[in-house]
Amino acid sequence: MIIIFIIIALLLAGAIAWFFDNEKNNFARWFSLISLASLLLFFIYDTLFVAQTFTTFTPLVRFAWIKTFNIEFALALDNLSIILVILTLFLALICVLVSWHEIKTKIGFYYFNLLAAIAGIIGVFTAIDMFLFFFFWEIMLLPMTAIIAIWGHEQRHFAAIKFFIFTQISSLIMLIAIIAMAYLYQQQFGQLSFYYHDWQKLTLDSSMSFYLMLGFFIAFAVKLPSVPFHSWLPDAHTQAPTAGSVLLAGVLLKTGAYGLIRFVILLFPQASQEFAPVAITLGVVSVLYGAKMAFAQQDFKRLVAYSSISHMGFVMLALFAFNAVAYQGAVLTMVAHGLSSAAMFSMAGMIYSRIHTRSLAQMGGFWQSAPRMGGFALAFAAAAFGLPGLANFVGEFLSLAGSFSAHPIAVMFAALGLIGSAIYGMYLFQNSFQGPIKHTIADFSKRETLVAASLLFLLVFIGLFPNTVLQKIRIEQKISVQKASEQKISQQFVVQNINKLVMATPATIGRKDNE
Amino acid sequence: MNSAQLIAIAPQLILSFGIVLSLLLIAWQRSKWLIQGFTFFIFVLALIATLDLYPIDNIQVTVLLLVDSYSLVALVLILISALTITVFSGFYLAKYTEVHDEFYLLLQLVILGAAILVISDHFASVFLGFELLSMALVGMVGYFRESDHGLESAFKYLILSATASSFMLLGIAFIYGTTGSLSFAMASNANHLIDHLYLAGIILFLLGLCFKLSLVPFHYWTPDVYQGAPTPVTMLLATVSKVAIFTVLIKYWFSQVNYGDESLTEIISLIAILSMLVGNVMALRQNNIKRLLGYSSIAHMGYLLIILLITSTQNITFAWQAALFYLAAYLLASLLIFMVLIVSHRKNNSDQIEIVHWRGMFWHQPWLAMAVIISLLSFAGIPLTMGFIGKFYLLVQATQQQLWLLIATLITGSGIALYYYLRIIFVLFAQHQEQSIAPQHGDIDNIFQPVIARVTIAIFSGAIIVIGIFPDVYAYFLSA
Repeated sequence: MIIIFIIIALLLAGAIAWFFDNEKNNFARWFSLISLASLLLFFIYDTLFVAQTFTTFTPLVRFAWIKTFNIEFALALDNLSIILVILTLFLALICVLVSWHEIKTKIGFYYFNLLAAIAGIIGVFTAIDMFLFFFFWEIMLLPMTAIIAIWGHEQRHFAAIKFFIFTQISSLIMLIAIIAMAYLYQQQFGQLSFYYHDWQKLTLDSSMSFYLMLGFFIAFAVKLPSVPFHSWLPDAHTQAPTAGSVLLAGVLLKTGAYGLIRFVILLFPQASQEFAPVAITLGVVSVLYGAKMAFAQQDFKRLVAYSSISHMGFVMLALFAFNAVAYQGAVLTMVAHGLSSAAMFSMAGMIYSRIHTRSLAQMGGFWQSAPRMGGFALAFAAAAFGLPGLANFVGEFLSLAGSFSAHPIAVMFAALGLIGSAIYGMYLFQNSFQGPIKHTIADFSKRETLVAASLLFLLVFIGLFPNTVLQKIRIEQKISVQKASEQKISQQFVVQNINKLVMATPATIGRKDNE
Repeated sequence: MNSAQLIAIAPQLILSFGIVLSLLLIAWQRSKWLIQGFTFFIFVLALIATLDLYPIDNIQVTVLLLVDSYSLVALVLILISALTITVFSGFYLAKYTEVHDEFYLLLQLVILGAAILVISDHFASVFLGFELLSMALVGMVGYFRESDHGLESAFKYLILSATASSFMLLGIAFIYGTTGSLSFAMASNANHLIDHLYLAGIILFLLGLCFKLSLVPFHYWTPDVYQGAPTPVTMLLATVSKVAIFTVLIKYWFSQVNYGDESLTEIISLIAILSMLVGNVMALRQNNIKRLLGYSSIAHMGYLLIILLITSTQNITFAWQAALFYLAAYLLASLLIFMVLIVSHRKNNSDQIEIVHWRGMFWHQPWLAMAVIISLLSFAGIPLTMGFIGKFYLLVQATQQQLWLLIATLITGSGIALYYYLRIIFVLFAQHQEQSIAPQHGDIDNIFQPVIARVTIAIFSGAIIVIGIFPDVYAYFLSA
């Protein structure tokens, strides 16, 4: 029930913020902030400090919704979802804080959209009925598009339409795959079903499952985004208001990665393994292409946007390596990138609010007038290029280390991306904070310090104690191995390989306890 | 003819009787509200009669008519549109001082034609209903002779419609010539399919229907007539005429064994694909909203044709459900957006509303703009709206029949369509200060909105959302 409660509470809070906004101008943002904070605390309390463990994808609520198609309203949680929901709620708080002064028109409606988007994203992370999943998948797009289209920068309509059409077409392809799965279930078991655990019972012949897997893969690769489906991302990120970019990079991209884990790899283990070479190539190309393009940008936000493509390439690479360590690395990269890209986009927004341009050519020498801001910017740039001690390093290291045994050449190329990220990270920092003084700007206000410090704290904390996150996700992988062996995969050696690595994991990451 | 049969066609009888009474009423007293109220009353009676009949076992009324539950659902849809159109015609006609009795009379004739079409089971009754509908519509399209495009649209519609009718008649003659029967069921015989004359007959008959559904390549009249006709008439063309003709098309198609025939299936697929693409691509560049809706209706009819492509009798039930759901979703969304068009054109006194005229509507007319957004999202098939469930039905049907090419076209078409739907939505959200660049007649700040109009718009918006979230509310009627 907790998820339903949170989703309804978010929508209600949004509606209240919208309707009561006119009376008192600060009402909407304070109200959103307080409700988000309390929901975050409530969720953490309810999932992390209760006796129930969420090692498997456990249904929490399940009742009939559309009887004509045997569609259920079913929500579930496991550790992966919990991590991502916490990340979402936390970044939502950041979003409210960064748009505190940035949004000046239609404030109430803005916060309604923000909270509605969050509600949709949480739905995506917890839905266990595939129709419901698709429903939320689409719902989160509408407020997101509205945020870009109404409060965005100069090219906002173009960016919003592009964003919407890309995701819409790809999700229609996924819808076909979902329908086809339900139909196959009907052929094998006599009735339609969109329930995730029902689908795991399906036996699929290899060519069929390959095409179905591809249907899901395309939708998630667009969201991730992976080359060649990435072109919506730089535009959407650049044109969106700061909070929109934070939400897009921090959470929305993660829905793509989440989909790949939950639906592509776990539902079609065999087909994804056949497809792995292509996916890994796409991942590596994304890593390199993103880094290269990031370096060539003159626009602060566009640079960060391309760097997102590069980072998400690591996730794709690691996921399709079918390896416990790489898998952990992928999830950790998701969390770390969520935090660090949110930090970079917040930084971009804060600079924009001071000098009203995103162009790097107009920036320079900020360190002189705003040392505190510069310090944080340097730390975030360091996080983005994977400095040890920060979260991104652990994620990328585990991804690469885990994938190496299976795909050494791909990993070697992907590792070049780390050098690339160091180059564009330093390029970004030097261009904006060092060099001749082009603007004198005000240093961080208290609110901005709070945003930057909380993000940096989490980056450092996860960087130093990655096990807080890792111990949650290790178990999930075991389930997938179990499932894979249940399905009697022909490639036995892969399963053995994974089993071996699961055993080896505690040593690799220095864990002592077993579960 | 026994009493059960008479009761089964009660809605049609009520409508016919109502037309005669309306004529008498006009002879007795000419009054704006009297004729409108009477028309409304007749439609309400017919609607009550239809709902009372539902659900019904198939009842054959003479050889001409066959009443079944599906046609009753279609009839309900038609009567709901008829009621809304009656109400909103009143707002539309309010600016004229003369009394327009004929308008309502023609409206009743159109509805009677549509009501006959949905229950017909015989080529003769199809032709009767078809002509009743077309003739009355021609009168309505050109009703305001003095308007910019009135005469042009009426002539275009008259000539093309008459041509289509004559082709259809020729087709019926061919079918009769080979099978010796005009009844849908009797004329159905797989042996005839090898006969070229019979095939030609079917194709010519379909051609007539395709014209009315404005499917490519018979779509040329659509944008001009949509734009030129008075808005309530465009509303009628977009809803009643489409639902009635499509219902009779499915009825004919499924009573035959034609659906297994490959050459016919190929022709239907080709028409469907062309309609989806041409309709959506042509809509991209439109600025006039009615014209844009005309093109988008072409695409929607193209999507609907997927229903016809079934391979075995077992699929017929689901195909009917899918068709009626999609039609209902399309109908509600169309009615909703045309209602907004009618109330928002009152101020500038022109039928021709361009997209820019709606600039910034969300900020000063939020509820009206919400209605537009809901209707456009429903057209685009975005979740939360009924249109999404309609599209879901179509995709389920297409996936079961493994029509991958059509699915691919549908996805492409929807992608293109999003562009122009979103364009309108973004204009609604455009900031107030940008309004200065809009044409001066784009001001819709103080539209006169009667309470009835507001309530109706709210009900329709609500219905689209509620059925979109809980489709069982409506789907229950289809499966009963």
